[in-house]
This record gives sequence, C-alpha cells and structure tokens, in this order.
Amino acid sequence: MNELNKKLFIAFLIIFSLGMIALLVINTATNSKIQDLSPKYDVPNFELTNFNGDIFTDNDLINKITIVSFIFTRCEGACPIMSKNFRDLQTSFKDSDLVQFVSITVDPEYDSDSILKSFSNQYSNNDNWYFLRGDILDIIELSEQGFKLSASLLPGGHSTQFVLVGQKKQIRKFYEGIVDANVMELQNDIVTLINQG
Amino acid sequence: MKKKLFFQSAVTATILSYLLIFIGGLVRVSGAGMGCEDWPKCFPDRWFPPLSSDQIPIGVDSFNLTLAWIEYGNRLFGVLVGISIIVLTVLAIHYYKTNYNNFRSYPSLLFSSVLSLIVVIITGLLGAELVWSVLDPFIKTLHMLFALALVSILSYICIKSYKMINAKLFRGLKKNPILSKSLIFLWVLIVIEILLGTGIRTNLELVSIENPSLPKGEQLNALSSYKYLHSLLGFGLLFFSIYINYHLRDHSLLLAKQLGYFILAMVALQIFLGELMVFFDLPQLTRLFHTWGSSWLVGVIIILYNCMKNE
Repeated sequence: MNELNKKLFIAFLIIFSLGMIALLVINTATNSKIQDLSPKYDVPNFELTNFNGDIFTDNDLINKITIVSFIFTRCEGACPIMSKNFRDLQTSFKDSDLVQFVSITVDPEYDSDSILKSFSNQYSNNDNWYFLRGDILDIIELSEQGFKLSASLLPGGHSTQFVLVGQKKQIRKFYEGIVDANVMELQNDIVTLINQG
Repeated sequence: MKKKLFFQSAVTATILSYLLIFIGGLVRVSGAGMGCEDWPKCFPDRWFPPLSSDQIPIGVDSFNLTLAWIEYGNRLFGVLVGISIIVLTVLAIHYYKTNYNNFRSYPSLLFSSVLSLIVVIITGLLGAELVWSVLDPFIKTLHMLFALALVSILSYICIKSYKMINAKLFRGLKKNPILSKSLIFLWVLIVIEILLGTGIRTNLELVSIENPSLPKGEQLNALSSYKYLHSLLGFGLLFFSIYINYHLRDHSLLLAKQLGYFILAMVALQIFLGELMVFFDLPQLTRLFHTWGSSWLVGVIIILYNCMKNE
C-alpha cells in the first residue's frame, strides 16, 4: 500500500468509527427518551365535574393523550404561568384531536362552576380543556395517591407539575409546569406519543 | 524550542475543533441540547451531571441522565478546545516576542491566533445563551456559524504556519490568478450554501415548534421554494469544483491537487447526503455528516487558497 492509500484508509477508518460512535449515541439517546416515557402508574378511578356540569371520569382519559395539572383560580403565583403554558400547548396541538387537557381545582369551595367557566374563557381557546371540580377530599386523594403529587396546605400548596397520561390511562412522565425547558420537553414527548400511536 | 511546535499546536487545535463541531452536531441530532438545564453548571447547584439516577437532586423533574452526559460531553470537549487555543495564542505571542523562526514576517499568524481565541470564547458564550433561551433556533444557527468561523481561522493558521516551516516547498510556485479568484468565489458560494442550509433547518424547527404534530415529511413541504435553491446551488458547486480541478491538473504541488480532489469528492458526497435526507425522512446520522462535511469544505478551501499564494 503506498503512502496516500494508507492515509486515505486511516481517514476512512476514523470517519467510519466516528459514524458508528454517533449511531450508538443517537440510539442510546432515543432509547433513553422512550424509557423516560414508559408507563409508570395507572390512573385510579375518579369522578369529577366539568364546569358545564358534565361528569368527567378516568374513562375519559382512554384513547387520548392527556396533560393534567392541579390549579386554583385565586392563585397568583404559579397557576397563571401553568395555565398560559397549557394554552400554548393547546395552540400547538390544535390540529390533533388526540390531545386533551385537564385542570383540576384544589379550591373547589371557591371555584364554582361559573368561576371555572370564566377562567376557562380567559385561557382556553378550544373545547379540549376540561376544568374539573369535586369534593376536596377526593381531589387530595387523587392528587397524592393517583397522580403522586403533593397536596398539603391546599390550596396554596398544590403541585406545579404537569402529568402526561398516555392513551391507556397510564402516567408516563412528570414535568415542572413553570419551567420553559420542561414544557418544551413535554411538547416533544406528546409528539413522540402521537407517533407511537 | 521545536521549530514545528506552533504548527503542531495549530493542527491539534484544528482537529479538536472539527471534532467539537461533530460532537455539537451529535447533541443537536440526538435532541440532547437541554440535557443540562443550566450553564455552565448542569443544575444550579451541581457542576457535573450525576452518574446514576439516584443522585438526581430532588425537585429536578424529567431529568434524563443520558442526554445530560451527551450535552455535558460537548461542554467538556469545548473546554479542551479552549485550552488548545489558549496554548496556541500563548505560543504565537511568545514566537512573536522572540521573533523565533522569523515569526514576525508572518504577523497575520499572531492576529489570527488572538482572533481564534476571541471567536472560541464567543462560541462558548453562544452555547450558554442557547441553553438559557431553551434552544432558540436562531441562536443554534449562530452558535454553529461561529464554530465554522473558528475552524476557518484555525485552518488558515495551519497552512500559514506549515508554509513558515516548509518555505522551500512553496518557493517559485507559479501564481494562477484564475485559480485564486475561483477559490475565493467557491468559498463565498459555499458559505452562502451553508447559510441556505441552516435557513432550511432553522425554519424546519420553527415549523415543528409551531405545529409539532405535523409529520416530518410534511414539515419540508411547509417551507417556501427557496429550499430548491439549496439543491440547485449544490449542483452549481459540483460543476464549479470540476472546473477548479481542471485548472489544478498541471499544478506542481501535489498537496494542491489532492485538496482539489477532496473538495470535489466532498461536494459530491454532500449532494448525495442532502438528497438522502429529503427522500428518507431526515435520518439523524445523515444530517450529522451533512453538517460536518460542510465545515470541512470551508476549512479545506482556505488551505488550498493559501497553498496557491506566493508569500
């Protein structure tokens, strides 16, 4: 082998190895994302009421990709940011009828149907976002046992996390609802779930 | 001091920078850009990503260890590149002060070394801004363009310092003005081609942020017709590289001919990879090599151009 061929061969070998390493890294990254989205817990049975009086149960989560949050309308800190992020996601996925949004009030005594309705008017621009209320004890149990989110010192102490629920009513992943990077990640993960079918 | 030390240091910095562009591209195509949500630390209170999942601090949600290390690898490698360029700049200043090996007749080596240090710092800061802006597509492009500027400057330092220590090789070369002008033109066209390419990528990302549920194949359709300009110019570059090789055919310097072949082969490969991306739903590895190959072209044309030039 002459000098030039030798050099070309080495260059080829280096580039080939780089390609292999890159493929391995891309694969590991993809698998880790799928692993992150693997089903974690089943959502338990629940029954709450939407602001228009309709009953909303865990069965309404089946065959939908649902993003769940716990909020209350009098909250001035995190909830407006969380609800704005919900609205942005709602706008992003306006073309997909698979995606739906659920916000459960942790202050059902104050948040009457009419207050939830005007809150909905303020943020939601589609009918795929449900604002639910029910008995406070049921909501605490649902938050803590069902969605694994702390619910102490309500209403102020509710969790600011978003929960991604897959089509089989299984919790897939949690996101900090007031951190932009997390919301962006949630958006990407919703796409992944849509593509998984 | 070794005569070749400055040249070797330049080559090291250049190779490391090219590898860094590769790693940066890998971060982008594997979607690991937000692996660490803070900069320069991985979390606000932690320098390095944890090694196992039970070390993830409480309150950090949806943390992916693999993505964090891919992103952090890019930063660590960036530090290595930074150090190699600091060494280069220190050597340049020292050579200049002592006029070692008649270094002062090459003042551009000192300027470009200092410039490469400035550019690498800006590139690093743009990397920080990229994390803080949660991967703004425009900052991504700017971050890459500065990396391209960096390898351009470093490639220039490489060939210039190579000529400094191998002056004999280049003495008495006949200057070919057509070739020199053509190479400048080719370089400008390649930069325009890269800008068009990054424009396509930026707009694809904007489309996917705006409308994430749109299938990948349709995202490309959502772009206006300027995307064809990128393909068209690609073929133009191919013919132009053939023209340049035609002028290089009788060149006395073997290195110049080899670089000419390299440019032609790389342009052809880029067209092949580009079309592969369009027809096979943008596979990540193709994207990575498409970007990386374009960065090689930018540097190699600079090297070839300076081969032609008489000092």
